[in-house]
Amino acid sequence: MSRWKHSKKEVEDALRYAEANGWRVEPGGAHAWGRIYCPYNDAQCRCGEFCITSVWSTPKNAGNHAKALRRVVDNCTTNRSKPDAAVNEDEGN
Amino acid sequence: MEYTFTLKYRLLPADQNVDDLIERLGAEGCDDALVGVGQPGRMALEFTREADSARDALQSALADVKRAMPAAQLFEAAPDFVGLSDVAQVVGVSRQNLRKLMLSHAASFPAPVHDGTTAVWHLADMLDWLHATLAYPLEPVTLDIARTTKQVNLVKQAEQISPASEKQLRLLVA
Repeated sequence: MSRWKHSKKEVEDALRYAEANGWRVEPGGAHAWGRIYCPYNDAQCRCGEFCITSVWSTPKNAGNHAKALRRVVDNCTTNRSKPDAAVNEDEGN
Repeated sequence: MEYTFTLKYRLLPADQNVDDLIERLGAEGCDDALVGVGQPGRMALEFTREADSARDALQSALADVKRAMPAAQLFEAAPDFVGLSDVAQVVGVSRQNLRKLMLSHAASFPAPVHDGTTAVWHLADMLDWLHATLAYPLEPVTLDIARTTKQVNLVKQAEQISPASEKQLRLLVA
């Protein structure tokens, strides 16, 4: 994995969780650290606005931000209907 | 207290540089919100805001967003408009259970905002009823936020009232 790490550990863990579920993580921005993109952003997807979600560099509360990011990944309707979807944690370190 | 709620906005064509908008939101103190930009022309902000009351939380969030993107138009504050499954999820009962309650308490059960193939209620009406009728244990924060988002949406919709029809209709629909 070649992307920049997020400096807040909780947020970095949430980003890895998103990646393990097939989401694409793209850095970019100042206040914004980057974005996460849902892998199933297609006609059937009903996640709506949060299919693409912005990640803050220095969220007011890193723990809350990380929890909210994980919630987005867990609430993805396509992912939810695929119980066999892999949730392998990254073998990076 | 910590309040969780979502504000949904329509963006004007002039305001479609989403990266700039997100930077401005960050600068105006919206870094306690998760910003969703998955739908073109729209933005959703899921706040987890620390405040003394739900009203303070909602009002300060609305003010922050207005400073960051004055042209964006709020179209919904959530959680307010809900179906039975949504209420069941909030309260922690099954949808079937809630449906049974609806049928067995037909007279006092809250009237929906819309009834049809899908029915929609105000979450606050449902929570108030569950609490009053069945003494359902609810988090005060949950009730507080639902009552407040309902007020935000009502005020937002009242913007569209035409003064001429209001005069004639007010007594008739009371």
